[in-house]
Amino acid sequence: MIEILDPGLFSTIQDLGRKGYQKYGVPVSGVMDFISARLVNMLVGNDENSALIEFYMKGPKLKFHSDAYFAIAGDVRAKLNGRDIHPWKRYKASSGDVLEIGTISSGSYGYIAFSGGINTEPILGSRSTYLRANIGDKLKSGDRIPLGSHYNLPRLDYIPRSLIPKYSNSVEARIILGPDDDHFTENGIKTFFSSEYTVTPESDRMGYRLKGPKIEHSKRGPDIITDVVPLGTVQVPGNGQPIIMLADRQTTGGYARIGVVITADIPKVAQLRPGGKIRFKEVTIEKAYEELMKIENRLELIKKLLYGKLIYIRTSVSGRTFDTFIELMYDHL
Amino acid sequence: MKLSQWGGSYNIKPIGDSAIGIFFEEKIDEKVNDIVIAIFKKIERANIEGIIEVVPTYRTVCVYYDPTVIKYRELVGAIKKIISETKLEESKEHRIVKVPVAYGGEFGPDLGFVAEYNGLTEDDVIEIHSKPTYRVYMLGFTPGFAYMGGLDERIATPRLENPRKKVPAGSVGIAGKQTGIYPIESPGGWRLIGRTPLKLFDPKKDPPTLLLPGDHVKFIPIDEDEFYKMLKEETR
Repeated sequence: MIEILDPGLFSTIQDLGRKGYQKYGVPVSGVMDFISARLVNMLVGNDENSALIEFYMKGPKLKFHSDAYFAIAGDVRAKLNGRDIHPWKRYKASSGDVLEIGTISSGSYGYIAFSGGINTEPILGSRSTYLRANIGDKLKSGDRIPLGSHYNLPRLDYIPRSLIPKYSNSVEARIILGPDDDHFTENGIKTFFSSEYTVTPESDRMGYRLKGPKIEHSKRGPDIITDVVPLGTVQVPGNGQPIIMLADRQTTGGYARIGVVITADIPKVAQLRPGGKIRFKEVTIEKAYEELMKIENRLELIKKLLYGKLIYIRTSVSGRTFDTFIELMYDHL
Repeated sequence: MKLSQWGGSYNIKPIGDSAIGIFFEEKIDEKVNDIVIAIFKKIERANIEGIIEVVPTYRTVCVYYDPTVIKYRELVGAIKKIISETKLEESKEHRIVKVPVAYGGEFGPDLGFVAEYNGLTEDDVIEIHSKPTYRVYMLGFTPGFAYMGGLDERIATPRLENPRKKVPAGSVGIAGKQTGIYPIESPGGWRLIGRTPLKLFDPKKDPPTLLLPGDHVKFIPIDEDEFYKMLKEETR
């Protein structure tokens, strides 16, 4: 059990999302950055879908009421009982210990994973918070959160520095065009793919509203018959300013969908802050799959590394970096 | 009759790298939506590995999938086969759901306005609103919100200019030519004419919603006493 002493700026409990209920109008929700969240869950020996705390910009202060391992994801400083500790490293906390997380230096979302995972009652198969329908709530001082007891601690207790995700406030998001590309003029689509857009302060877990050169609609106009809005959908309402739909998006929407951000690029988009810059580039669906597989393979390698099934060597030869993973074939090595 | 013989045209396109849209004729139409719901159910029942969920809308069936398990091309093949085997008759089954509504008073603060706007009495509005059977085309917007069609144009009324900050769950409203029920307390700009004691969305139940795509809805006028009696039963 942990107790929230100070929730920070905006902290919620999330897992990888509420899947299977969009047909009832129930949004998916879940973590904004699946790479950081899955990695930090690995560090404490959890299932990758285990619930954890997601915090925005400034992390919470909390007290342990039982012994537990924990790890922090994000570019952020933290203190355990007043002593400096590092993100991307596993620590053991004893009952009575106080963990205080500071302000994020780069990126916008951070995570705290606890061994056993957060063990609140699942609602419709998920522990993810969805505020607009009162499914869970944002964390408040005094909240007591139960932890689970099943985990399988990996041998290694940190993510090697060169494998830690880096967050940038200027990114390129790759896009699969459509399905409503016929609602835009050729010029409008050209504007979309050749301009830089800025994340506005009217952005949250539901979506990021962008500001930049106006995207021109065709005669078909900005409205569509209400239809689905998958993760990463870029909608363009009448004002020509795109909106990227993220974790807490509604299941359906009525604005023309110019394209969809590929899954592999969702984390880096989610980690943008207000004022962050984004450019869009069209790719094929094959390329999108390839990029996602790169991430999945990397996560799999890191997992093997953590459990001591791999050796990892990074080498630099005349300015180029090579990551080498050597798989160990015998357990006793 | 098979769908292919019916001539209902469709096209399949990716919506990003993890969703496929099967797009039918671009209009709000019961026949088109019947097909959508039939195909939605059929794909759901097929239990294809890698499909995460299937979502029907007015004119689209959206198949969400895990691209590390199945890819676009393979899934399109499976979907086309399912569509070719779907018979039009399969889309003709509809549940009729009776929704009791207490009209007017504190439950429907805009009933008077809707009547006045359309040159009718409040009783006329209640009668016109509760007479037809409404079709649920799809759920979306908020959990359990049903997009319904079939409102009589004689009671169509524009939205509020200033939306209310809080609309109670169960409120029945009119916005233009649409009617709908707020499943959860939320802000909203619809003209409220009544309220149902039934829970439209209950996350503790599976399915969590009272209404499902393809349902037919009939509003049954009730009085205040009945409302509170049913509300008590519903929350028990």
